[in-house]
Amino acid sequence: MSDVQDIRSIIEEQIETLRRRNKEPEWVTKMRYRGLKAFLTAPHNDPVLSNPLEFVVGHKEKFPEVKTLEDLPPEMRALLDRLGIAEVEKKYVAGLAVQSDTNIVLNEFLKSWGARGLEVLSMEDAVKKYPALKDKFMSLFSPEESKLAAYHTAIWNGGVFLRVKKGLKIPMPLHLFFLIQNSAMAQAPHIMILAEEGSEIHLIEGCTSPILVRHSLHLDMSEIFVGDGAKVKLSVIQNWPEYVHTRPMTRAKIGKNAEFINTTVGLGTGKSNIASPKYWVDEGGYVELNGIILGQKNYHVDLGGEMLLRGRGSRGLNATKSVIMDRATVITRGLIRAQAPSTRGHISCDALLMGPDARMETYPGLISEVDDAELSHEAAIGKIREEELFYLMSRGLREEEATQLIVKGFLDPMLKDIPMEFVVEIKKIIEMAVGGGM
Amino acid sequence: MNELLTIENLHVAVNGNKEIISGLNLRIGESEFHVVMGPNGSGKSTLALTLMGHPRYRITHGRILFMGEEIASLTPNERGRRGIFMAFQQPKVVDGVRIKDYLTLLLTKVKGMDPLKTGKIIRKTLREVWFSEDILGRYINEGFSGGEKKRFEILQALLLKPKLLILDEPDSGVDIDSLSLISSKLRKMHGEGIAVLLITHYGRILQHVDPRILHVHILREGRIVMSGQEELVERIEQEGFRKIFEECGCNE
Ligand SMILES: Nc1ncnc2c1ncn2[C@@H]1O[C@H](COP(=O)(O)OP(=O)(O)OP(=O)(O)O)[C@@H](O)[C@H]1O
Ligand SMILES: [Mg+2]
Repeated sequence: MSDVQDIRSIIEEQIETLRRRNKEPEWVTKMRYRGLKAFLTAPHNDPVLSNPLEFVVGHKEKFPEVKTLEDLPPEMRALLDRLGIAEVEKKYVAGLAVQSDTNIVLNEFLKSWGARGLEVLSMEDAVKKYPALKDKFMSLFSPEESKLAAYHTAIWNGGVFLRVKKGLKIPMPLHLFFLIQNSAMAQAPHIMILAEEGSEIHLIEGCTSPILVRHSLHLDMSEIFVGDGAKVKLSVIQNWPEYVHTRPMTRAKIGKNAEFINTTVGLGTGKSNIASPKYWVDEGGYVELNGIILGQKNYHVDLGGEMLLRGRGSRGLNATKSVIMDRATVITRGLIRAQAPSTRGHISCDALLMGPDARMETYPGLISEVDDAELSHEAAIGKIREEELFYLMSRGLREEEATQLIVKGFLDPMLKDIPMEFVVEIKKIIEMAVGGGM
Repeated sequence: MNELLTIENLHVAVNGNKEIISGLNLRIGESEFHVVMGPNGSGKSTLALTLMGHPRYRITHGRILFMGEEIASLTPNERGRRGIFMAFQQPKVVDGVRIKDYLTLLLTKVKGMDPLKTGKIIRKTLREVWFSEDILGRYINEGFSGGEKKRFEILQALLLKPKLLILDEPDSGVDIDSLSLISSKLRKMHGEGIAVLLITHYGRILQHVDPRILHVHILREGRIVMSGQEELVERIEQEGFRKIFEECGCNE
């Protein structure tokens, strides 16, 4: 397992399997081999995962093939039901795309919006359909920057390509769930969003499904291109089992006067390092990175995010709120670089420490390369305030009830962009976590 | 008259050993109306917070009985559930907690009410104390004006219907009209059989209350130094505490 030659041949075999299965264009396979080469030499700088090699070999597990929502495994259906998605789906025909290996399960909503210019393809289909993606694919990342980026490049599988046509505004959020089946590899979906000029879309990724998948490494990569004047919201809800290592990699280019709001809700985050996000913001553009983290047990969450304010008047906000329990550790490392005049950036980091062994570290970085940028940061790390607890308890609420209320309240302002049915579910999970034996 | 609250030789300390209440005695019978007045810093809020079980105030001596049972070892919520309610002099902001969720939780968890029935009662009570329904989406006391905070305390008392209502200066920072409203709500609640312990500096809050029923106490340095009836309120307003204390020899 430790032998480099072995690693090389294992990855090579994985690449060849994907190449044959997908019948992919040559440039894709070439890119995969570039990833393999980089994997052997690229630096490994992950603060949590000491040996990336042990994740290279996946486990073989089979799931029944999924063509419609009815074919989903019972656990997944139960989950969707719990989230109220199935109901919403029936009632409002809101969008729900389930990614299952290389097939996208489309529903009526997506089909009807498809006619108006919303294109949703599996990533595998997209690279075949659009040769021009050669210039976009892996343009915001480089396989050589780290072993994990390299490994993703080599074996990416699954994922979604989403294109919103110029000026098209989609009023309701589109839900996307990942379900990887028949896969012998690490879960490594590649997601690309092209929001053309003036378009609007809100995408919700529910990364709750991998309870089905026993892989312990989840390596998804998202490349997002927000066209001039476009607005994109990406809300990612993670609820992983503890043994999963997640390394979501998200980067976005934000055009002139465009807006990108990226919210991550990490309820079950296990061992994750979300340290690589990067956002390039053009003139008048705005980026917001919101992190909501529930740290439990021995979770270790390392949350980064670099914003490059390179256009005049561009703005960035990086805000996290963490609730940390047990022996969990949460680290935030937001970085904002002001590279153009009249730019503004703010980093805020709030944490509620729920026990003596809970740990929070924050390292805000503000770098100004111009003289009229406004950059600021604030951090508030502490316990639940005695006065608030007393106020609520004096009205007859038990300590657990009052604590739950305060914790939910602490997170509430950050949940503004999350649809109600998710907020309800998120709050339920938080209640269970902080309420103990209620 | 059955005794509801009995305070015997109470001593309370804060921050280590600083004694704030020093040998206080007070008896409140069921559905009586008591008024506590006293100079700033005499220990009025400390008394209220101690009765409610604030963890920072330590009882070093004496007893507090509520309905015949010692309550010193009970948590604030247990006291709340037994029927003690305290309206804070400075109500706390609880960020992020929406009033609708909060009040619903109070009614279902504390009063055991059917969740489907809470909405109507909450909306009706809101109107009674001049709030519009917009307030339901706001956070507890966040951005409230001084008067709004005081009316929100009264709102919660109206919903929870305690046996003993302790009010710590419900009139401070309140405009004339709201003052009249709060005074009439006090009369209403007292009329429903709720015993009242009202802490105040001014008699005006009593405008709608029958003066003949009042028991008035003056607190000085953590001890009740004088008790009387309604005319004591007027005397304080006219003469001030200094003069009264000089005349009664309370300064010794
Ligand atoms: N937590 C505390 N720590 C230190 N000192 C305290 C604390 N709480 C009260 N005190 C002190 O105890 C004394 C009584 O305070 P308390 O708030 O009970 O007065 P009060 O009678 O309510 O005054 P006011 O009319 O101004 O509201 C004051 O000297 C105050 O500074
Ligand atoms: Mg006071």
